[in-house]
Amino acid sequence: MALGTPRAVEAPGLPRILGPIRPRARWNELRLLGLVAVTLVVGSLSLGATLSGRFGLYDARGLAIYLGALLVAHLAQVLAGRRTDQVLLPAVALLGGVSLLLMERLPQDLVVQTFFGRTFGLADVQLTWLVCAIGVATTLGIVVRSDSWLRRYKYTWAAAGVGLLLLTFVLGTEINGQRLTLQVGPLSGQPSELLKVILVVFLAGYLSENRGLLVEQDTRVGPLRLPPVPYLAPMVAMWAIALGIVVVQRDLGAALLFFGVFLALVYAATGRISLVLIGIVLFLLGSAAMANLFEHVRTRIDVWLDPFGDPLGSGYQVIQALHAFARGGLLGMGLGGGLPMIAGRPPIPEIHTDFPLAALGEELGIVGVVAILGIYLVIVQRGLRIGVAAADDFRSLLAIGLALVIGIQAFIIAAGNLEVLPLTGVTLPFISYGGSSLMANALVIGLLLALSDKGVEPPPPPGVLPRWRRLARRGAA
Amino acid sequence: MLHSHGVRRPLARPTIDVAIVLSIAFGILAGAAGYWGVIRSPELVRAPDDAAVIAAARTVPRGRILDRTGSVLARNKADAYGELYRVYAGPAISQVVGYASRQYGEAGLERAFDAELSGLAGDPLTDALGKFGTDRYDPRDLTLSISYDLQKAAVRELGSRRGAVVMLDPRTGEVLALASTPTYDASAIANPATSQAAFAELQDDPSQPLLPRATLGRYVPGSVFKIVTAIAGLGSGAITPATTYKEQPGAERNGLLVDGFRVRDGHHLFTGSTPLDLVSATEVSCNIWYALTGLKTGGANLVAYAQRMGFGSALPFDLPTAASQVTNGTGNQPGGFLDDVELANAAYGQAETFVTPLQMALVAATVANRGELMRPRLVTSTKGQRGGVRTIPAATMGRVIPVDAAQAITAAMVQAVEGPFGQQFTSGAKVGGITTAGKSGTAQLGGSGEPHSWFIGFAPAANPSVAIAVLVEQGGRGGEVAAPIAGRLMARYLAGTP
Repeated sequence: MALGTPRAVEAPGLPRILGPIRPRARWNELRLLGLVAVTLVVGSLSLGATLSGRFGLYDARGLAIYLGALLVAHLAQVLAGRRTDQVLLPAVALLGGVSLLLMERLPQDLVVQTFFGRTFGLADVQLTWLVCAIGVATTLGIVVRSDSWLRRYKYTWAAAGVGLLLLTFVLGTEINGQRLTLQVGPLSGQPSELLKVILVVFLAGYLSENRGLLVEQDTRVGPLRLPPVPYLAPMVAMWAIALGIVVVQRDLGAALLFFGVFLALVYAATGRISLVLIGIVLFLLGSAAMANLFEHVRTRIDVWLDPFGDPLGSGYQVIQALHAFARGGLLGMGLGGGLPMIAGRPPIPEIHTDFPLAALGEELGIVGVVAILGIYLVIVQRGLRIGVAAADDFRSLLAIGLALVIGIQAFIIAAGNLEVLPLTGVTLPFISYGGSSLMANALVIGLLLALSDKGVEPPPPPGVLPRWRRLARRGAA
Repeated sequence: MLHSHGVRRPLARPTIDVAIVLSIAFGILAGAAGYWGVIRSPELVRAPDDAAVIAAARTVPRGRILDRTGSVLARNKADAYGELYRVYAGPAISQVVGYASRQYGEAGLERAFDAELSGLAGDPLTDALGKFGTDRYDPRDLTLSISYDLQKAAVRELGSRRGAVVMLDPRTGEVLALASTPTYDASAIANPATSQAAFAELQDDPSQPLLPRATLGRYVPGSVFKIVTAIAGLGSGAITPATTYKEQPGAERNGLLVDGFRVRDGHHLFTGSTPLDLVSATEVSCNIWYALTGLKTGGANLVAYAQRMGFGSALPFDLPTAASQVTNGTGNQPGGFLDDVELANAAYGQAETFVTPLQMALVAATVANRGELMRPRLVTSTKGQRGGVRTIPAATMGRVIPVDAAQAITAAMVQAVEGPFGQQFTSGAKVGGITTAGKSGTAQLGGSGEPHSWFIGFAPAANPSVAIAVLVEQGGRGGEVAAPIAGRLMARYLAGTP
């Protein structure tokens, strides 16, 4: 079915950085940021009162830098004059601020990095990454006006993602039995964080092209009504990649995240519950096989089933996290009031990366945990709204996928902290310590901001497909 | 259809489904937070592997432990790093108070009352409010019924011998002294600088100083068990104070034939051919009379009355106790005896009968308190900064025998200490100027070893305020070793030591 005459094919547009400056006030964002600032100042005062015993901000310099960065981000968006979402930045800013307060009150020598002869502790490094993250998200939100660089080259991105995975496999350094970190010169990072964004871009491209077929055509396999078999191939490929990540990187969390986002996005695109069920069955089968094959997977599952079985060994961190929630109770111990040190060490060694929610649960209580979980839902809700309102399928699925990445990742690690799922080592978005995590999530927020600005550049007209894809289509039809 | 492009299909519906599923998932997380933070919280925050409990043990001062006069038995001292360790009043009290050591954990009351001493045992309300204060913990001081003076005197009396002394107030169950020897220096274990060497040495010591003999040592009781037999006989109505056995005088010479086995006795040929009653049989500690009483009472009654006084299971006490037994319980006869021979021997404390010194003190206390046994206790009150004073009231373990039966046994026990023949068996148990009741025991161990020396008793007989059990391991005859110790200690207490 042809819809009018296809327009001339436009060349892929480069990001338009400079345009006419037409400032536009963002009152909602400013008001919300004001609320965030008040919250963080109160938090810092509370921290100061608890830790140093006097009334005053705990780390006034760090807080000032952070709030200053937020103000600059806000003003930059005002000046740019785009009609982008005004809730995302404040929501992320609150999570980042909580992260900053948490990192300030943890022992600073948990992370020590030396740059140019100066040594930086945990809070300094995290503050630097937080400011960078705000910068990246805001810049993307201002600058990106075209999605063609994502849309056109989805297979290139996918190839880059797989390449990144292989590179980690070959060159990655092993930490705690997981091969997650890629070190290039002085810089190290966790590629799986970037990989999740690439995954969403690829899936949005693939699903938006093939939605119609996936929804409308059936292949009957026994009682099941399935989409055409060739279109199931990506699903099987995803399944293989997810399990591959477990095998290669021993990273259960990333596998769970990728597969979860994949299934949710397939469902959002097609509305077919059968695909999701098949996916879940495949995942469970794969997990069972992995649990039988790999010691580290089995250990995680054993600890999940009976955390108190080996309280001083494999279950130690998980149990200590549960104790932290128990100590916090409903209202928490207050910022700085929890996390008893034993011989100068926090009870949970990986508290700044894997268990920040347990730390917050102890200090802010269930009330605080629920509030933080609520902020994640706010981010997801904004993302899904942006997705549903977007101009075409690609943008819709991209926004939905990006929002789900944040939501599902937060769920996986929170569930691991709370014994709802086996513990897997993904980060808590915007709160966990770590540059890769903050940068990747900043990328997500930046893209969501850009996508929220409707109609700056219309999506490309239908029918504009690479020649080989058109030929493939004809063959399939 | 060539492309799906251009045909807008509603994405909103499935997207809302996804949002609902994710919201439910987050709701489950909130529920889990509530489960761990509220429902499981009280149990987890008190667990020994809770980080706060571990950290508090190093920084929060433990509550002190005081004796009945307020004299400090356990206090804190800071080491070079400002972390606290325990210092104790002296070795005499170690078997009661125990120790709290960073390396070796806790023992004694330090273990049993760890939650109170470390300040984690508040009630939910004060705990919730305490969270908002600067100090979260409310360590509680323990006040004991022990008299440290009396405790020291008891340890001195036992001297270098292995043994135990238990003294308690029969009216309230308050334990006045709970001495076990050899004892040890708990301060050396608690002090981080010396703990390793001290603990290793104690563990290698063949005399087992770490064993609290008064509560966990089990010994053959010998004749002190006759009081249990008397309680069961009178309580069950099998005998009266006037009961005599005509075969008894003859059996003195030839032995009492039970199931083809001769129960022998040889102590008191001087009673001649007079059949003895409860008082005179107790005065001369007649094994034959008690064997016959045991057979008449029956195994079931003997075990049942013993159980009323705590035999057969750990005693309800502030410290762990070993269970005392009348018999192994492996036989088919009533009460679990193998046969009448075992029952006859058990009736005077020489079969498969094993008792703790604390249990025997309770037997004496039962008679002293006119047949009603009070629950033994060490901790009489606890006191915290926030929680105030909490008093632990006296509690009864129930009536064992009627008042008249208890008075009859009292009369017999007075005769055993003060009667003309009794004096010969229990020289030195009498408290000067005060009517004293008691029973000595010489527990034969078989083989060539010296017997265990026992004494149980109470004073003043008319209105007892102290009951006592003394055991000296392989100390010799009860009347010669244990009885004088008991006499001196009771005299010291009644003279107003505490």
